Amino acid sequence: MTLKHSTLHTEHLELGARLVDFGGWEMPLSYPDGTIAEHLACRNDAAVFDVSHLGTVRVEGPDSFELLQTSLTNDLNRIGPGRAQYQHLLDETDASVLDDIIVWWVAKERFDVMPNASNTARVISVLGGQDVTGERAVIAVQGPRARERLATVSPEAAAVGHFMVADFEFKGVSCRVAGTGYTGEDGVECAVPSEKAPDFWRAVVGAGVKPAGLGARDTLRLESGLPLHGHELGAGITPLQAGLGWVVSWDKGPFRGREALERERASGIRRRLRGLLAEGRRPPRRGDAVVFDGEALGVVTSGNFSPVLQRGIALAFVPPPTAMGDKVEIALRGSQVGAIVVKPPFQHLKLEGAIS
Amino acid sequence: MDVPQDLRYTADHEWARLEDSAVRVGLTDFAQEALGDVVFVQLPSVGATVVRGGELGEVESTKSVSQVYAPVGGTVVEVNAALTGQPERINTDPYGEGWLCVIEPSAPGEFEELIDAAGYLSLTQS
Repeated sequence: MTLKHSTLHTEHLELGARLVDFGGWEMPLSYPDGTIAEHLACRNDAAVFDVSHLGTVRVEGPDSFELLQTSLTNDLNRIGPGRAQYQHLLDETDASVLDDIIVWWVAKERFDVMPNASNTARVISVLGGQDVTGERAVIAVQGPRARERLATVSPEAAAVGHFMVADFEFKGVSCRVAGTGYTGEDGVECAVPSEKAPDFWRAVVGAGVKPAGLGARDTLRLESGLPLHGHELGAGITPLQAGLGWVVSWDKGPFRGREALERERASGIRRRLRGLLAEGRRPPRRGDAVVFDGEALGVVTSGNFSPVLQRGIALAFVPPPTAMGDKVEIALRGSQVGAIVVKPPFQHLKLEGAIS
Repeated sequence: MDVPQDLRYTADHEWARLEDSAVRVGLTDFAQEALGDVVFVQLPSVGATVVRGGELGEVESTKSVSQVYAPVGGTVVEVNAALTGQPERINTDPYGEGWLCVIEPSAPGEFEELIDAAGYLSLTQS
């Protein structure tokens, strides 16, 4: 299989990026300063990520609203044109989350649907629409100083509100920006046509925003408790199990997977996603068992080291009665490490007293 | 990539330095580069017996878990306790402050059988 490359590939190589295969794309894993430095730059200042591997599927026409409204779980009537919304696409038969998606509502009858890289084809098979992924780069600028720094490149892009969508011009080409991201920080994601994307990237980096790779993107999303499709969402996992019931609008009428999800709501979920804060630095990993009083009743879906807390952290499926503050053990490759059930985002937890 | 001339190496990217009769062990610059940010190190206990090529410990980075193997067999006489709180020393100073442990070899000849700098360099470039 040939790996796809972002239009920013040359820029990444020049910056000394270490590359990784992700969903069929060869993308930066990290730059020479490393994942932790990139992570902390995003938490404390600003970082820029090439997320061109995300899909963009353009759905338009008089039927587009109704198509999305009946295919996806959230209610578009809660927003309107010029806004973005987090959505799930469910499996008809068991309400598994086939993909989690951000929908950019661009104009009355026009939507840019942003699936995960490897799920783009699956989303198109349900929604139709035109795959315009190859026409643009998506550049995420994230962090407490992201807007301030981006404003020196494009004041319009920097000014877009949280979960708002707007068009802006950069060097004579029309670009699109949304006040969205995947880091737990304030920031924006800019869709820039391929021919001007390298200029835009260079300008953002030149404004003092630190390039960050998929490694930091993953530790940032995990620390913020955000799900990753294939880990916390996917085959056999429903929005209710993942603790994302707010993405499901029960009062909007029929949508794909609704009946199956109603059955689960009535019978009760068999497992629930929770955050785990480990006692030490050792990172829990996907597949590690979560042990309750000697019984392995849960499983880690994602785990790593939290650069902010300097502790191992994890998301895990546990039995539904599990409560915040419960003490568990994580079976970490031969040894058991104590952990406490917590509510992410992890980076905002106060450690004192969290673990006795 | 830094490959000091005065050290010996393994194909698993450990380095070994002969200090009197003992052998100080660490991970090479190549290894730390490949691992990325090291966030946790599992070291052997002082007094533990290790065999050549056997498991010595574990290093974990933000992206992976890797085993560390003993370049020589013997008894662990010292471990770098500072790595518990500051495992990033493996990244910042792999041949200095990032050392892992010191082994008193049971068969001194094993050290001589390790790869020299030129051999290790060509191994990492192949």
